Amino acid sequence: MNAPTHSAFANTAEEAIAAQDALDDPMTSEKATEVAMQNTLLTPRFYTTDFAEMDAVDVSSVREDWDRLITQMKSDPNKGHFKKNEEWDTVDWEGMEPALKAEFIDFLISSCTAEFSGCVLYKEMKRRGSNEDITTLFQLMARDEARHAGFINDALREAGVRVNLGFLTQQKKYTYFRPKFIYYATYLSEKIGYARYITIYRHLEENPELRFHPIFKWFREWCNDEFSHGEAFALLMKSDPKLTESFGNKLWIKFFLTAVYSTMWVRDHQRPLFHEALGVDVTWYGQEVFRKTSEISKQIFPMTLDIDHPRWRKNLDRMEAASRQIAAAKARGGLGGMMSRLGGMVKAATAFVSVFTIPAKTHRVPTSTRMEPTY
Amino acid sequence: MGLFTRSKETAPCTVTISHRFEELSAHVKFNNGAVVHPGDSVQVEGPEIMAPYGVCVEEQRIATITRASKIERLWTRSTGDFEFMELCEFSFSEGVLS
Repeated sequence: MNAPTHSAFANTAEEAIAAQDALDDPMTSEKATEVAMQNTLLTPRFYTTDFAEMDAVDVSSVREDWDRLITQMKSDPNKGHFKKNEEWDTVDWEGMEPALKAEFIDFLISSCTAEFSGCVLYKEMKRRGSNEDITTLFQLMARDEARHAGFINDALREAGVRVNLGFLTQQKKYTYFRPKFIYYATYLSEKIGYARYITIYRHLEENPELRFHPIFKWFREWCNDEFSHGEAFALLMKSDPKLTESFGNKLWIKFFLTAVYSTMWVRDHQRPLFHEALGVDVTWYGQEVFRKTSEISKQIFPMTLDIDHPRWRKNLDRMEAASRQIAAAKARGGLGGMMSRLGGMVKAATAFVSVFTIPAKTHRVPTSTRMEPTY
Repeated sequence: MGLFTRSKETAPCTVTISHRFEELSAHVKFNNGAVVHPGDSVQVEGPEIMAPYGVCVEEQRIATITRASKIERLWTRSTGDFEFMELCEFSFSEGVLS
């Protein structure tokens, strides 16, 4: 579609209508399906960072592990994995309970947005950099994310949900994150993503009758990609020791761990039907995912959170209750709603502080960060 | 770029959308090498773009970049970090569904 043929570029209303008409093919059944599909606007995030600082990263101190990882990613072990084959059985969307369907679709959309945002960020870094190590890595990760997003998008289409990329033509404001924040947050997102997927995968291996959608069968190889991406961020952090060793940065790490774990707890507990359908106790699941993530993150972080501390679960539950209170108060509105919302925020903050101040477990970090996905 | 004033500029850009099974992605590239800084806003002009399923499209468009004022840029740089949770991509969307 070139500029002159589009109605938006027409000089007169007549030209615009003509251009519009030219685009309208007769209605086919395929098109009718498209129109009937529920539209969901993808809302990826847009941000900038200090690209010069990122470009200046020197991985020579971890060269051997770095090259091994890049070679493995280049060999693209999952190239043939994201294909629908006879394993992809039919989904009974009609028979699915509507509330469960809503939660499951929310899961697919959130996952698709996450992959999509990752792809946008990684591609931008690839484009803005000139350091070959860095640009190669980000190009490979963008490839994986776009592939995952396409796979989820297909599952969404089967469910009658169409993604809308309208954000592309909307005004976007770019915020800013320091590179180290991107490292901590993205590293944890990738590793916790691995732990989340593999825990569900192993659970369904033992209880195949609970698998209510074929996409879960793809989780194992899929989360190996997440694992590799996490490995790359671990190496990036390893290449600059002060990122994980200075007093201030240790506090940031603890802060990110606490924020990521508690957010996951709150959000998962607000999707009870999804977990019930899988036969997963959501509290057990949360703790299990934290345990795996903590074990993995020992490769680079000098501390893990004490998730068996008496204050831990009690305050995560408080945060969840506070989150419900805030949502209900927001819906209610008015002065009462505002007061209740404020109260909820105070409760959430108090609970967060209580969790954050639990003494962390410290340990010695190994010389090499290298790890294999073994769960 | 003034201390308090924003400025606008336009840049030709290439929008690439892959809406295929093997890849779902969308990227905007400024053809003149323009760079976005903290606090700037970008708007791709023209109607919504969507590739039909199974297709990868590329369109040439004009983007309007609204440059943040110096103060705004400094503000975004020093406070952007507070939105760090945006970086964490996992689990479900926020809030109760039912």
